[in-house]
Amino acid sequence: MRFILTTFAAIGLLGFVVGTVHADAGAGKAAFAAKKCTGCHYTDGPAKERNIADQLAKKGPELWYAGSKFQAAWLKGWLQDPKPIRHLAYNSLTKKNAGDHPKLSAGDAANVADFLMRKTTSEVKAGVIKPKKSLKGKKIFTKKMPCTGCHQSASKKGKVTGGFSGPTLVGVGKRLNPDWIYAYLKNPTHFKPFKAMPTFAGILKDKDLKKVAKHVSNLK
Amino acid sequence: MKKLIKISLLAAVFGLAWLINGQTATAAGAEETFKFYCAQCHGLEGKGKGPNVTKDFPVTPRDFTNAKEMSKLSDNYIRGIIMDGGPSQSKSPLMPPWSKTILDVDVNGLIKHLRGLCKCKGKAG
Ligand code: HEC
Ligand code: HEC
Ligand code: HEC
Repeated sequence: MRFILTTFAAIGLLGFVVGTVHADAGAGKAAFAAKKCTGCHYTDGPAKERNIADQLAKKGPELWYAGSKFQAAWLKGWLQDPKPIRHLAYNSLTKKNAGDHPKLSAGDAANVADFLMRKTTSEVKAGVIKPKKSLKGKKIFTKKMPCTGCHQSASKKGKVTGGFSGPTLVGVGKRLNPDWIYAYLKNPTHFKPFKAMPTFAGILKDKDLKKVAKHVSNLK
Repeated sequence: MKKLIKISLLAAVFGLAWLINGQTATAAGAEETFKFYCAQCHGLEGKGKGPNVTKDFPVTPRDFTNAKEMSKLSDNYIRGIIMDGGPSQSKSPLMPPWSKTILDVDVNGLIKHLRGLCKCKGKAG
């Protein structure tokens, strides 16, 4: 009898712990619709863009592989305090990002993050890229290739320089999944069939793509 | 007879409209390509003043509306630098290589678009 009671208590406790620690993806999906996130983001893959016009018609980035792209902790935090990632307004070369992205409460953010983190793609293989210093990667990023022409990044001393047409790469170490960075460089059209960024796969060797990914994933 | 003239006139008008339409459709394609890929640095008007060209940017991209300078460049040179990037023509690596991004036919369109901006022809070769 005692044994049965403790077992029940243990199961109850377990259920309680699981219920509170893990946010609710179902509630996240509902909140994603209720807060009208669906008006600017699509979450079902594969990529839908068939031409440049399709890309330009989008009001926000695609999120169908969000779980492969982002780090969970960053996502949960950003949804509550969405600081600009792109200097310019989405799909604009003339307007500045107004910094008016919808904000979520802590509860909604946890649920929505849980919902989005389940949106993954098998194109991203885990454990390939470890964020680490790479001199060759840095050289490609800053000198050999035009990355800094379109992306902001911070030097070791924290000085931010670079172009504005691409998302900022300041703070990537906390924001993006290192393995996604490599997967995106290796096969960008799987994620973004029409993008203003040049494809470097086939121009840079695979081992150099890995080194650049290493360097970028280590950016503070 | 009158009816026949009317019909052929109508056909001619439709045909013409169709032709013009077809032509603007391809021209818009080249403009769209230019605005999507090139304007970030070269500017929407091609004057070299895209949003990436800040005080940090170490070189000034060419003003494509400058007929005098642009007529010194051959179409082959322009194709080479678009496909293989600045360093392939001893120029800055900030001019990206587009060979894996933009199709050959669309590069033809881009060259025509640049020639439209400078209202000039390139030197031979
Ligand atoms: C009016 C359109 C709009 C709505 C509504 C909207 N977003 Fe966004 N979202 C954007 C834009 C534009 C960006 C890019 C912001 C930036 O770069 O700073 C973005 C960025 C994001 C990102 C980061 C994506 C990336 O690739 O950088 C996430 C995650 C996100 N939104 C989630 C949401 C959620 C959750 C909601 C609902 C609460 C929502 N968005 C509502 C337009 C929208
Ligand atoms: C001509 C401008 C340009 C150049 C050059 C460029 N990028 Fe990009 N990059 C972009 C744009 C624009 C995007 C966003 C594409 C989209 O979401 O449609 C992007 C996206 C990215 C992303 C994903 C960022 C995010 O938060 O979604 C990474 C990582 C990246 N670029 C790395 C690089 C690296 C590494 C190089 C050099 C090897 C490079 N880029 C060169 C314009 C550029
Ligand atoms: C990341 C910024 C960037 C992007 C995007 C870019 N360019 Fe360039 N481009 C440059 C820079 C910088 C130069 C000048 C290089 C130099 O003078 O050393 C240049 C030079 C050129 C030249 C040679 C001009 C000359 O005088 O030799 C041509 C032609 C050209 N670009 C065409 C294009 C086309 C077409 C596109 C779009 C497919 C494009 N560029 C996209 C930065 C860019």
